[in-house]
Order: sequence, then structure tokens, then C-alpha cells
Amino acid sequence: MFNSSPIETWDGAAVFMSFGANTGWTHLWFWVAVLCCLVPLWVALQAENAADKEHGS
Amino acid sequence: MTPEELQAAIAAANEINLEVYYYWCTAIMILIHAGFMMYEMGASRVKHTLAAGTKNILAFAYMIPTFWMFGWWIYLAMTNGFVPDFEAGAGGVPWGENMGPNLQDNATGVFWGAFTLFACTTASIMSGAVIERIRMAAFIILAVILGSVVWILAASWSWHSAGWMVTEWGYHDFGASGLVHMVSGFFALGVLIHLGPRVGKFNADGSANVIRGHSLPMTMVGLMLIVVGFFGFLGGCLVFPGTGISWYADEWANIYGQPTTLSTICFNTLMGVAGGMIGAYMKTRDPFWVMSGALCGIISIASGMDLYYPGLAFVLAFTGGIVGPISAAWFEKMGIDDAVGAVSVHGTCGIMGVLYAGVFLGGYPQFSDSIPTITFMGQFKGMIVMLLLGLVPGFVFGWLFKTMGILRASDGVQETGMDVEVENMAYPEEIKS
Repeated sequence: MFNSSPIETWDGAAVFMSFGANTGWTHLWFWVAVLCCLVPLWVALQAENAADKEHGS
Repeated sequence: MTPEELQAAIAAANEINLEVYYYWCTAIMILIHAGFMMYEMGASRVKHTLAAGTKNILAFAYMIPTFWMFGWWIYLAMTNGFVPDFEAGAGGVPWGENMGPNLQDNATGVFWGAFTLFACTTASIMSGAVIERIRMAAFIILAVILGSVVWILAASWSWHSAGWMVTEWGYHDFGASGLVHMVSGFFALGVLIHLGPRVGKFNADGSANVIRGHSLPMTMVGLMLIVVGFFGFLGGCLVFPGTGISWYADEWANIYGQPTTLSTICFNTLMGVAGGMIGAYMKTRDPFWVMSGALCGIISIASGMDLYYPGLAFVLAFTGGIVGPISAAWFEKMGIDDAVGAVSVHGTCGIMGVLYAGVFLGGYPQFSDSIPTITFMGQFKGMIVMLLLGLVPGFVFGWLFKTMGILRASDGVQETGMDVEVENMAYPEEIKS
């Protein structure tokens, strides 16, 4: 779908990760991964605050 | 086959063997994490069990991406201190050619994997100390700071042939008594100072109550799993021979380039485990401490276990097994509620490990004459660095999160049980502890 192959042949290939090294797409997925770490922390904080509210301090 | 072709085939086989070796070291190290999870769940009361386990799972889960994002880069780039060497760090940039599938690089992935599991271990060390009252989000952030920043900075300084503590002081810490155990133990202490004790731990007159976990057998099995995982951990501290990135063509070496053998590590891992268990048994006759004594023992010898005579390793580990519980009682007297004795097992015994290497390993040559030999002062100064590198960030971030009001669960949540925050129950049949 993304047409992500950085190589056209396996002969002499080195980096073969999707999109290749140091491309715009690798940077994009990196920052999406960062978001995937941060958003659940925010969700956890909300759940903790709700539990505090429900069970008293 | 020509001699050149034969040589190329041997080189290729060695590269694959290196890859296989560290791959399975990494897998075995996951048992450390499984063990810590059982250890801490067993040490929790029923109403906190799943929160303790979930904390372990999430520390593991968060360490992996964050160590990929910046942890490995820190290891490669920060050998000089606090000023990064961007050229040296290039191999750890997460969008670079080494940090993903690459047919010309069989090593980075498995080294990164092994170091990631070392990082997971640091988070596990802290997590036991803070069970039954720390909030999840704060814990996860602290775990990332410890495992993907602080510990790996210590490793870059002292567990890398170009690290300044190695090149300036001849610091020797083969099995990471200082850079993993001390850093994690004292980071935990810094956090505990601000986190405070569990509800009901201390009386108004300052005396401490015993809070028993709901399953000591689970804790004991967990500790035994950690011992199994140590074989992956300590095996992963060796550098595989015969490849382009090896120290030697036909000999194992430690991370500093000094030759050693897997047999050495086998001798001393087992002797350390046994010495610590027996020492702790003699001191306490408490099954919890007999098993924790295994950790005390191995941590007390880890710095120099690539060089010790096994009889010496056993005796030193025996003293670790005695000192661990004494230290835990002292911290409790000082008003620190360390639920599993992590500060003592890892921090205090880590100090012993670093200093014992200075006492008993003087004069061993380094891989280069330009590097100082192992000395007591080199180890002593290294011990101070490790203590501060753990304690200061733990204290500062513990204070910050306390000030923000996100560090400690309310008394009401603690009395109801931390499991309300994970929305499940460990024992729906209402088994009582």
C-alpha cells in the first residue's frame, strides 16, 4: 500500500527496513511511536484522578 | 573451496553465532522480568496484586520503545560525560541505518535488545520498592528516566571501552554492581524519600509494622526465576569472540577487553547465588531473605566476577547475604518504607560489589597500557559517581512529581486497594491474605 521498499533487488542490499533509513516516512513513524507512548500516560493520569475522586483522599 | 572462501565462510558463521548468542541471552533475561513480577505480586497484599504486576508489565513495555528512541543513542554518544559525541552516537539514531533491518549489520539489533533488557531490570529494581502506593503514570515516567536515561548514562561512562571512568580511573564493573544495581537502588531511595510509606506501615511513635505480602511462595519462585535470568544477564556482559567487532579472534572478553571465559562466569554466578543464600539464611532464617540473599550474593560479587577465584566469590557473596537484611532493617529504622528491600539488596550490596573489586582485584592489567589498572581509589570514586547518579535524579524527579500531585495514591485508594486503578481483581473468589 505504501510502496515502502527501499530496495529493488536483494543483490548487495544493506538497509531493507520499510521506507529505508533517514527518510520522511521513518521520521513520521518515529513521532507517531512517541505519541503512542505519551497518550496512554495521559489516559492513566485521568484514570488515577477518577479513582482518587471515587475513593476519597 | 579456496582458502579465501573458507575464511569468508568462517567469518560469516561467527557473525551468525554472535547474533544467536545475544538473541538468546536477551530471551533468558526476560525471565528476570517475569521473576520480578512474581516477586512483587507475591509481596503485595491481595488488594494490590494486579497493580503491582501491571506496573511491571508497563515498565517492560515502555522501556523497549524508549530505549530504541534514545537509550541506545545515549550509550554510544555520552562516553565523555555530559557532552554528546554525535559522530559516535550516529549508530544509535532511531531513524538511522543501524537501528532497523539491515543485511550488513547482524549485531546492533541483538546488542540493543540485550541492553534494553538490562534497562528493564533497572526499572524492575525500583518497582519493588514502591509497590502498594505509587501511581502508575508517575511510575512509568520514573522507570523511563531510570532505564532509558540514567542507567545507560552510567553504562556509557563505565561500561564502554571509551567511557571516561574506564579510561581515567580504570573502573571495573563487569556484572554491573554499580552501574545497574547501585544506580537503580539509590534512584529508588531518592523516589522513596518523597513517596512516603504505605498507609499503616509506621506507628505514631515511629515504630514499624510488618506488612506481609499475600504469597511468599510466589515471591520465592519469582526470585528463583531472577536467578535463572542472571545467566542471560551475565552471559550478555561478555563479548563474543571471532567477529569484526570482537576483542579477540579466539577468546571471550569482558566489555573492557580483558580476556575471560563463559566458564568463569558459570563458576562465579553459581558460587555467588549460593553464598548469598547461605549468608542470608544464617542471618535471618527468613525464606524471603534466603531467596533475596541470592541477589545480595551475586550483586556483591558482580563487579569482579570475571576475575575472582570461586572460593573468594562465595565468601564475598556470603557477606552480601548477611549485610543485605541488616541494611534493610536500618533503612526501615530511618523511616524508609522499602517494601522488598530493594535499596539494600541492590544499593548497599552494589556498593559492596564495586568496593570488593577495588580491594581484591588490584593490579590486573587492562587491554591497553594507557588505562590505569584496577585500584581501590578508582573503584571508590566510581562508587560515589554511581550513588549520586542514582540518588540525585530519583530525588529530583520524585520531588517534582510529588509537587505536581501525581506521585502517591491517596490514602483512600490505598485502603481500598491499588487494583481499583487497573480495573480487575487478582482473586475474584475473595481469597484473603
